[in-house]
Amino acid sequence: MQRRILSYLLTLWIVLTVNFLLPRLLPGDPLAALLDPQSSDYVFDAEARAALEAYYGLDRPLPEQYGRYLLGAFTGDLGRSIRLNRPVGELIGAHLPWTLLLTGTALFLASLLALLGGTEAAWRRGSWRDRVLVTAGVVAGNAPVYFVGMMLLILFGAWLGWLPLAGGRTPFAHYDTPLAAAADVGRHLLLPALTLTLALVGAKFLLVRSSVVSVLSEDFMLVLRAKGLSEGRLKWAHALRNALLPFVAHLAAHASMAITGAVFIEALFNYPGMGRLIFEAVGARDYPLIQGVFLVVSTVVLTANLLADWLNARLDPRLRAEQ
Amino acid sequence: MRRSGRLGGDLVLGLAGLALFAALALLAGVLAPYDPHAFSGQPLERPSPAHPLGTNDAGHDILSELLYGARISLTVALGAAVGTVALGALVGGVAGTVGGWLDGLLMRLVDVLLALPRLPLLILLVAFLGAGLAQTTVVIALLFWPATARVVRAQVQSVRQRGYVRMARSWGGSPGYLLHRHVLPQIGPLLLSGLVTAAGQAVAMEAGLAFLGLGDPTAKSWGLMMRFALNLPGLLLTDRWLWWLLPPGLCVTLLILALTFTGVGLETRLHPRLRK
Repeated sequence: MQRRILSYLLTLWIVLTVNFLLPRLLPGDPLAALLDPQSSDYVFDAEARAALEAYYGLDRPLPEQYGRYLLGAFTGDLGRSIRLNRPVGELIGAHLPWTLLLTGTALFLASLLALLGGTEAAWRRGSWRDRVLVTAGVVAGNAPVYFVGMMLLILFGAWLGWLPLAGGRTPFAHYDTPLAAAADVGRHLLLPALTLTLALVGAKFLLVRSSVVSVLSEDFMLVLRAKGLSEGRLKWAHALRNALLPFVAHLAAHASMAITGAVFIEALFNYPGMGRLIFEAVGARDYPLIQGVFLVVSTVVLTANLLADWLNARLDPRLRAEQ
Repeated sequence: MRRSGRLGGDLVLGLAGLALFAALALLAGVLAPYDPHAFSGQPLERPSPAHPLGTNDAGHDILSELLYGARISLTVALGAAVGTVALGALVGGVAGTVGGWLDGLLMRLVDVLLALPRLPLLILLVAFLGAGLAQTTVVIALLFWPATARVVRAQVQSVRQRGYVRMARSWGGSPGYLLHRHVLPQIGPLLLSGLVTAAGQAVAMEAGLAFLGLGDPTAKSWGLMMRFALNLPGLLLTDRWLWWLLPPGLCVTLLILALTFTGVGLETRLHPRLRK
């Protein structure tokens, strides 16, 4: 585990440094363009320009810029958004919970569906139901999430009119009870979360199915069956349980997939999370905001990686013995 | 057990789809009724015999845009996939052959790149490098090679340890001979399926970046078409999405699925043990 933590810190440092060097070393100097009155990207707002100069400090020597940047990153100072003229840290703080809600819901639903469906499909491997599910899993896992989202949006939002078209909650709404507020948030969450669930369930399903299939041919399954255990116990208490390790090992990769999906989905559904924030920042060439979102999202994903590794080591006796 | 007839089905389906898109891209100049950049009608025309898929908000023929868009998607896919696999094979091959500290260093790099969320990094790079097609292609290749590198390294290491290869070496087989005679034939199939996988990811990422507003504004790709369509306020409330948004979205999806099925078909064909 110590090795894991060390490599986590190293990766984090690489992320921080890449994020620092990228705008400063690139040809064309995109940051300088923001401060150059001749350029089309010139920031006209004097206050925003001053904040920009103060944050990047481009007139100082590079090591000093680096030191100030690292210090800022650790104290939560990520500069000021050019377009919104608010601290990047504050903007991220307001948007991160929405993304966590969206990805958390989708990861949970996709995991549940994949564990149930994957085990059932493996149990009936080779049947027409299994084949349909495998093909559906391949299609759902590879179809671009923005297209799937568009279709759901058109079907449920525009055509049937059952669910809201965009946003995280009704604008200017006033709720009488916390329950009404939660219901509104839930209604807005439904379509984006469903889209992301569909995007994630394919890969998870195929993984669970193939691990259960390989457990089924183990000797202990034959012994348990000979002992007279019921189908249900064999399936859920033994086959699935022994197939869980690869599923846990891939949790981190799936968290990373969920972030990628969330960026597209939030841009499409106008959902007020980190993806929406980076989408709008890209449109306005709002570099401090793009960098801030990248930094925070990377840190969250890397931390999820570390947690998944830790969980995996706790669950797998072979890994535990290595320590 | 899946039958071998079914296994061929994936591959046939995928290759047929790829052939169709390749034909559309090659024949775009003949098939397209108009120049996709020419003002060939009024803005936002409904489908008619003159414009089978109507026109966009600038009066460009949507069918022509769609046909020329195939060229962009396939070009980026090919370029990025070749770049990804070449880089991956090089790094994986060197790491697997040389070993030692260089292997350790390269594999650390692979771990770091695999751990990072790809899309935010892709957005960051394209935002600073500029949203040209060439930049997009290069950046995709630079971010997606680690998966190939890891597989190639493992295979190189395993092949080098096999009895017949060690024997060939002890009998004085030169490194070039060993590479050509024993290592490459074992890696070729891996590279082929890696190429198809990378191409699918590249299509999805190119269209996705354009969809996010990071597309080359001069190259009308399918992703850019979707972006322009979605930029029209209230698009989904009329039936306009049916001929403006749906066709490019469907094209991206079908091309990715064609590549996916080709990949699945290749893998099951190359690794008979997966047939279960």
